[in-house]
Amino acid sequence: MSSKWENLQKRSYLESNARSRAIGLVDTGSFTELAGPRHRISSPHLPLLGEAVEFDDGIVTGVGLIGKKPVFVASQEGRFIGGAVGEVHGAKLVNIVRMARQSYDKMLEDNPDLPEEKRPAVVISFDTGGVRLHEANAGLLAHAELMDQFQDCKGKVPIIALIGSRVGCFGGMGFVAAATDVIIMSQFGRLGLTGPEVIEEELGKDEFDASDRGLVYRTTGGRHKYIMGDCNFLVADSIAAFRETLQEVLRKPYVEIAAMGSIGSLEKVESQLKLVELCVETAPKDSKDVWKTAGNEFPDDLVDMPLDEFLKTVKRLRDRQVPQPPSAQQLRK
Amino acid sequence: MEDLIGQGRAAIDIIVDPDSFLEGEVGELSITDEDFGASAVIGTAKLNGEICTIIASDAMTANPKFPVVYAGIIGLEEGYKMAMAVYHSIKADKEKPLAEKRPLLLIVDTPGNGAGKQEEIFGMNKATGAYQMALAEARKAGHPIVAMVVGRAISGGFLCHGLQVDHVLSLSQKFNTMIHVMPITSIARITKLDIEWLQELAENNPVFAAGPDYFYKLGGVEELIDSIEAMRERIIAHVAEVRAMKIAGRDDELGPWGRGALSLERGSRQARSKVMQIMNDEFAEVAERYLS
Repeated sequence: MSSKWENLQKRSYLESNARSRAIGLVDTGSFTELAGPRHRISSPHLPLLGEAVEFDDGIVTGVGLIGKKPVFVASQEGRFIGGAVGEVHGAKLVNIVRMARQSYDKMLEDNPDLPEEKRPAVVISFDTGGVRLHEANAGLLAHAELMDQFQDCKGKVPIIALIGSRVGCFGGMGFVAAATDVIIMSQFGRLGLTGPEVIEEELGKDEFDASDRGLVYRTTGGRHKYIMGDCNFLVADSIAAFRETLQEVLRKPYVEIAAMGSIGSLEKVESQLKLVELCVETAPKDSKDVWKTAGNEFPDDLVDMPLDEFLKTVKRLRDRQVPQPPSAQQLRK
Repeated sequence: MEDLIGQGRAAIDIIVDPDSFLEGEVGELSITDEDFGASAVIGTAKLNGEICTIIASDAMTANPKFPVVYAGIIGLEEGYKMAMAVYHSIKADKEKPLAEKRPLLLIVDTPGNGAGKQEEIFGMNKATGAYQMALAEARKAGHPIVAMVVGRAISGGFLCHGLQVDHVLSLSQKFNTMIHVMPITSIARITKLDIEWLQELAENNPVFAAGPDYFYKLGGVEELIDSIEAMRERIIAHVAEVRAMKIAGRDDELGPWGRGALSLERGSRQARSKVMQIMNDEFAEVAERYLS
């Protein structure tokens, strides 16, 4: 068991499957899968449409430990219908978040002086394009349930997003990721709302060519999101790298973690609006224009620079660990 | 009047007390710049004599700063504007008891979120994500929140501006109301399945069919309303019902979680509760190892 876990650590996060990620993120041997494949709970809707099913409906849910901390994990599998959220997939995700919050309530009831090191956490590894069209209505309703459960976690349980998988995190799940407390990405992770093809349809190929991989990555990829402050940490592409940063985050007191999110309060909305003002004022044609505004004189160099050099060199638009972001005026200096 | 599609402002006037709508003002918030988030309408009105926050889309006014924001689309500015209206409602009633928290009324007619390059560069997901989180917070702070679908409630647009409320009401199908993620024609194209066959299947399985009736069956809509004139009275009744439930501590029966239970009552989404139960049972067996 232990040797297998060790092997997982070195693996590429991008190339791994959802189960390896879930097992490898928590301490060795500590992961218990809940509603796993042995229960054979698959989508009741896909067979009606003649589609194949998976016995986990494309998501691994379970509980593990990091140190003494119970960590509730949901890990999406992009190889199954693009990690899309159907009824069962959505219910598993919703329930793992609910379970973490209920566990916290129970632990606090048993021990009003619950130490930080035992406070439960939620970790979601995203690999999804959002709603599963074959059962779209149920998928959409699950998204709303998830945001509702997130709100119940406020003040209680931190929620950490990991994005470094093939599909990235798009559609309605883009909202869900934005609503987490901390986002950890690799440079291969992508985060957004509208997928490239839909933008191309809306704006025309001249404005946005969805087949241009460079354009797609610099609009939604990890490096761009890091510069924007929309991801808190940019890490190497290995399970170990994600795990190390996750551990580092979870060692912080809850209030510090909760302060790191982009949205979730009037103050945060007001500071996001400053960025929208910046968007209006600078009317960027490309992400690289914004990188320049952030103080990166040679934005082209940032694209292919090795990650450690990138992290040392890059100037970020706003650093979310600083409570007050610079004003738009300061940013243009 | 045959339907209300594209007429968010007219819908406000039909529903609230006559001449009571004050646009741009919610508590301490006062928005005077007409171009700011122009496709979203926020403000305060009286509903049955009571102060009520109104949030709607204006399909007739495009946002001059963002080319993809028109026809009632929610863009970056609109999303944050709507979120601010919610936060200022919470702030204004912070010290008030549950019985006096102002209701919020969402008038829903939106085709979705801004789908553009600048939107993605700056993170459209944050703007309407922020609005959803604000609504969830207001709901849990005790404000009764009702959404009234009068036109288009499409996919991510409905998720942001609709599904995060206590009760969702919708004009019935005869008013050309649209509630869906994607029309069945598009689903057929993308899944490469035969459209007539899909339509036939949809009759007995509302999980992918388009229309308010199917969302009603799924527990995604609390009530379908059969006349435009009846909207006002039904909204007032739902506000009172929701408020009474909050005072009684029955919050779990409201909002997205409450609609989960409603789906079971209406005979759908059974796999949802089944898989949750299995998880809970399995966890109960190992919980001590993790929580002690």
